[in-house]
Amino acid sequence: MTLPLLVVLSLLNGCAEKEKFIVYGSPQNESEVETLIKEEDYVDRSTVIQYDDSMLIAVQIKPWEKWKKTKLEKKLQKKFEEKYPNKEVFVSADYKIFYEANKIKKDQMEDNKLSDKITELKELAKEET
Amino acid sequence: MEKEQYQQLEQNVTPKPPYLKNVAKAFFVGGFICAIGQAVSLFYIIFFNFTEATAGNPTVATMVFFAMILTGLGLYKRIGQFAGAGSAVPVTGFGNAVISAAIEHRSEGLVLGVGGNLFKLAGSVVLFGVVSAFFVALIKYILVTIGVVSW
Repeated sequence: MTLPLLVVLSLLNGCAEKEKFIVYGSPQNESEVETLIKEEDYVDRSTVIQYDDSMLIAVQIKPWEKWKKTKLEKKLQKKFEEKYPNKEVFVSADYKIFYEANKIKKDQMEDNKLSDKITELKELAKEET
Repeated sequence: MEKEQYQQLEQNVTPKPPYLKNVAKAFFVGGFICAIGQAVSLFYIIFFNFTEATAGNPTVATMVFFAMILTGLGLYKRIGQFAGAGSAVPVTGFGNAVISAAIEHRSEGLVLGVGGNLFKLAGSVVLFGVVSAFFVALIKYILVTIGVVSW
């Protein structure tokens, strides 16, 4: 009887502790990026990786909004491209990209590997089959 | 005894199928199978280079593989008896249909028995899947050409 209760409590606890909006990488206008994402209320969690002039924005969309996932992805992409015209912005709502972005942050990946990883993830996100 | 009388009697004697109970069983077992499928999908996303869009194919293959092994061991039959449509509607039901036909016709030989009857049940799944995919694609193509939706 106590075991399920413990599991549920630990799960709930885990939700509360996690940072929902993360910006990682070369420090450029971090808080601005964060507020830009927070403006969009369909975004549940997000991780942004910045390196030189490329920008990887991995977002997780709230469950009921996921029907419009590709549309929201495009909308965010457009928004950020307009905001940062001199940057290479890439937005993805895929879980794999989000997971890998969080892993980059967790492992504190070095800069020389970072750009390779970002290009790799971009290619991965474009795969269709 | 007249025909109508017999039907009346038969209806009185036949026990009422527990619809609600069956629906609940199918719902929970089917949901459990889908939860396993989601776990397999997450496994491919996290440990291999698959994205949400591409993890579908290996997941389906793995789930069919699991169902085939369970069918071979005679365990899927029990799940099917308990849950009914809950075990037949997910893709695992397809694997079950293929392997159970193969086992049934094994005694007739490998080529004409197993080979000829492998898709006896599952063939309709393949056929209607391909045909409906064709028509859905055709409708979407027409809609895109007109300009109602985009790819």
